[in-house]
Amino acid sequence: MENILEIVNLNKSYNGIPALSNINLSVKAGEIHGIVGANGSGKTTLMNILFGNPIIRETGGYQGQISFRGNKVNFKNCAEAIRQGIGMVHQEFALIPDMTVGENIKLGRENTHSLTDRLFGRKYSFIDRKQDYENAGQTLRRLGISVDVGIKIINLSVNIRQFIEIAREIDRTDLKLLILDEPTAVLNKNDGLKLIEILKDMSDHKIGIIFISHRLEEVQYVCDKVSVLRDGKLVSQYAKGNIYVNNLAQDMIGHTINKAAAEKREMENKPVITFKDFSVKMPGEEVKNLNLSVYKGEILGLTSLSGHGKLALGYGMMDMYPVDGEVYFEDKKLVKMNARTNIIKGMYVLPDDRQGLGILADQSLESNIIFTGNQIKNMFIRDSAFNFLGFIDHRKTNLHVYKMMLDLDIKCTSIKQKVKELSGGNQQKVCIARALTVDPKLLFVAEPTRGIDISAKEKILNMLIEINRSRNTTIIIASSELDELKRVCDRIAVMVEGKIFKILSPDSSDVDFGLVLSGEEGVDCEKL
Amino acid sequence: MKNYRLKPPQIIISAFLILLIGLSYILHMDLVVLMNESMVKLVMNGVLVLSLIPMLNVGAGMNFGLPVGIIGGLVGMCLAVNFRMTGFYGFFMAILFTLMICTLLGWIYGLILNRVKGREEIAGIFIGFSFIPLMNYFWTLAPFQNREMLYPIGGQGLRPKISLENYFNHILDNYGLISIGNIEIPVGLIVIFAIICLFLYLYFRTKIGRATIAVGENEAFAKLSGINISQTRLIAIIISTIIAGFGICIYAQSYGFIQLYDEPLSMAFPAVSAILIGGSTGKKTFIFEAILGTYLLQSMYLLSVPIANEILVPELTEILRTFITYGIILYALLVRERRGIYS
Ligand SMILES: Nc1ncnc2c1ncn2[C@@H]1O[C@H](COP(=O)(O)OP(=O)(O)OP(=O)(O)O)[C@@H](O)[C@H]1O
Ligand SMILES: [Mg+2]
Repeated sequence: MENILEIVNLNKSYNGIPALSNINLSVKAGEIHGIVGANGSGKTTLMNILFGNPIIRETGGYQGQISFRGNKVNFKNCAEAIRQGIGMVHQEFALIPDMTVGENIKLGRENTHSLTDRLFGRKYSFIDRKQDYENAGQTLRRLGISVDVGIKIINLSVNIRQFIEIAREIDRTDLKLLILDEPTAVLNKNDGLKLIEILKDMSDHKIGIIFISHRLEEVQYVCDKVSVLRDGKLVSQYAKGNIYVNNLAQDMIGHTINKAAAEKREMENKPVITFKDFSVKMPGEEVKNLNLSVYKGEILGLTSLSGHGKLALGYGMMDMYPVDGEVYFEDKKLVKMNARTNIIKGMYVLPDDRQGLGILADQSLESNIIFTGNQIKNMFIRDSAFNFLGFIDHRKTNLHVYKMMLDLDIKCTSIKQKVKELSGGNQQKVCIARALTVDPKLLFVAEPTRGIDISAKEKILNMLIEINRSRNTTIIIASSELDELKRVCDRIAVMVEGKIFKILSPDSSDVDFGLVLSGEEGVDCEKL
Repeated sequence: MKNYRLKPPQIIISAFLILLIGLSYILHMDLVVLMNESMVKLVMNGVLVLSLIPMLNVGAGMNFGLPVGIIGGLVGMCLAVNFRMTGFYGFFMAILFTLMICTLLGWIYGLILNRVKGREEIAGIFIGFSFIPLMNYFWTLAPFQNREMLYPIGGQGLRPKISLENYFNHILDNYGLISIGNIEIPVGLIVIFAIICLFLYLYFRTKIGRATIAVGENEAFAKLSGINISQTRLIAIIISTIIAGFGICIYAQSYGFIQLYDEPLSMAFPAVSAILIGGSTGKKTFIFEAILGTYLLQSMYLLSVPIANEILVPELTEILRTFITYGIILYALLVRERRGIYS
């Protein structure tokens, strides 16, 4: 097989700080080439270079040579890369929020009416929306998801968005090389497997695929070849047959990883929050008449297949979507949902949609970490006659942020660095640091380890256990990572169609979980 | 500011400015006099430009409804003149009246803009346009008493141009004016300008100011963090309106006249142009950008007048002025950052 992509001596730095050094890599037609590496090791940077993302030019370009299908290339923008047959599924979505699912999938490749084609030429022809929607629907069905193609992206949850972004690429017929930057991060295991089957099918059709993932099992299972990046250097490569999770992990991190695990314990069943017939109208992720009590000091796992409502609970508490029903927090009924008062009462929501809800991309690490604590709880305010104006106490802030940076191991050049310049995983750590700063009594966490490398993941889980044990913070973790939930939770509630279906002990078998997740009755649950 | 990059409008205007300076040199004009005047022009127009910043930073876009704040300032000054308040006292009272009126106007304006979120700019244009005829009635019917303000014949209705000669004409321009040879430095004016800049600088460092910027950058984030979006926007809009009111007071004392009726309409576009030239993209804008833009635009206006006269095409100034003002806005609308990788 010939190489469709060849990278020779590639170097890239941001403001003098190297992000990639001396990368040599090639991808064959029909090969699934895995790229793994810790957060901030340069994976996304490498992909942005291949896809002609303008951010690369704006930050000073790169050195080295890239050949695509035998020709030297140096893409000036994404459109050029797309024209040559490269597609990319972004780690942070690149969908247009105000357009519908169908429009997004067919963007740039619309079906047009043949009559107006002849009259005005294809470029100015009327779009055949019906045909577009039909195609888009077909592609989505191939991925095994059903969503109304007429819905606007802005109304969808992130896992559905991920499928739509994938659908946009696989709908293309001219695709030669597909780059997927952590496509499975927002998907649960089943959905991830679905995607992997599709990738295999594409590779049979001689499409080269670059696959980035923090789930090493997936990489081991699907990839023909794997390259490991560490601190911007290519440290090792393995071919199929020699790919082992342990080796990859060792090469990525440089040390062995201790898996986080909470000790089992007896809990007092004193509810801190109780939901009665609680509904949250989050499109695509609705909670419907949910009844649940969460006990003081416990870590409750909340899991479901995508679209069954696990993510919406926290957002409902922060008045992000219309809610209905009753909620009692510390035995008092919450009359009206209001983010501010609920934060003051001691709740905090760590969102799963990092780009949309989790960060102020243009502001510094520092501003991001202290934002909520400062705004709502008046922390870090300089003591002076002008207290009411709320100027920042920079010394206090620096101390705190610096400590957070060390505790969470956030990779950055300084605490003044803009958050948009951090790698995806490090942005997630910034979100967690903000939650820790607020120090809530009840913490809703949605997909805390999404996009986080295997080593940092354990650190974050340990951190959740640690704040739960030391500060007695009640934590609700909504996650599709069953394996992680089983290690840290006291109970795991499984949601089906917006309701709590069963509550299982973390010791239950995977088979039981599988059955319960798909809504099978008749699984024996311990009474919890 | 370390990654500050020049944008096309700035390059064009700067090139043009250099050309003009070259021309005026060749035509033996007194550059020092022009320099002195450019300082005054900067402050005269600069405050109006600064007034756009709070609204830009809260995400409400360019304040095309600038006439609202300007009208507040005009009413404030008219009240001071009506009560024959002169000198510093007069100017101070004009500012005080302006503060009160603009707070009220800004509050109403803000409530309206909060209901048309996402379309503030176009709404602002129409609010400006519809406010003017309403105020035209006010100017003709309001019971002002001072004869110096009223139409000389009939004694009913305010004049379109009220002279400040006997009130607070040049009150800031002349205060603490230092002359070094030919160079004149209007210290009073500059100090006032600096105070307003400092106020804005400090505002964005207060708690509410930081919330303002967060709302402008990512409203959903702010909402999830418990920020009251409507209230934050309202405050920013009120502050914008108040500074616009102050801006017209400072403008009027330099110009020597209060201009009523349709005049406020013609002030929004140059201000927007100036801030665009300074490098604003319609989102978060720095004070520095407002100052730079105003200076470039105003100096260009200033230089083009005598040069056009010298080369005997006086109409050229007006053509140029209009062309550049609107052209820059059009350019900005054309290149305004679009989302999505395929656009
Ligand atoms: N625009 C930018 N400006 C400055 N530095 C940047 C920028 N983008 C990325 N970096 C830095 O380059 C390094 C590599 O980042 P990159 O996003 O490629 O990591 P990654 O391997 O994709 O990590 P993750 O698994 O967290 O997504 C990081 O240290 C990051 O801080
Ligand atoms: Mg990345």
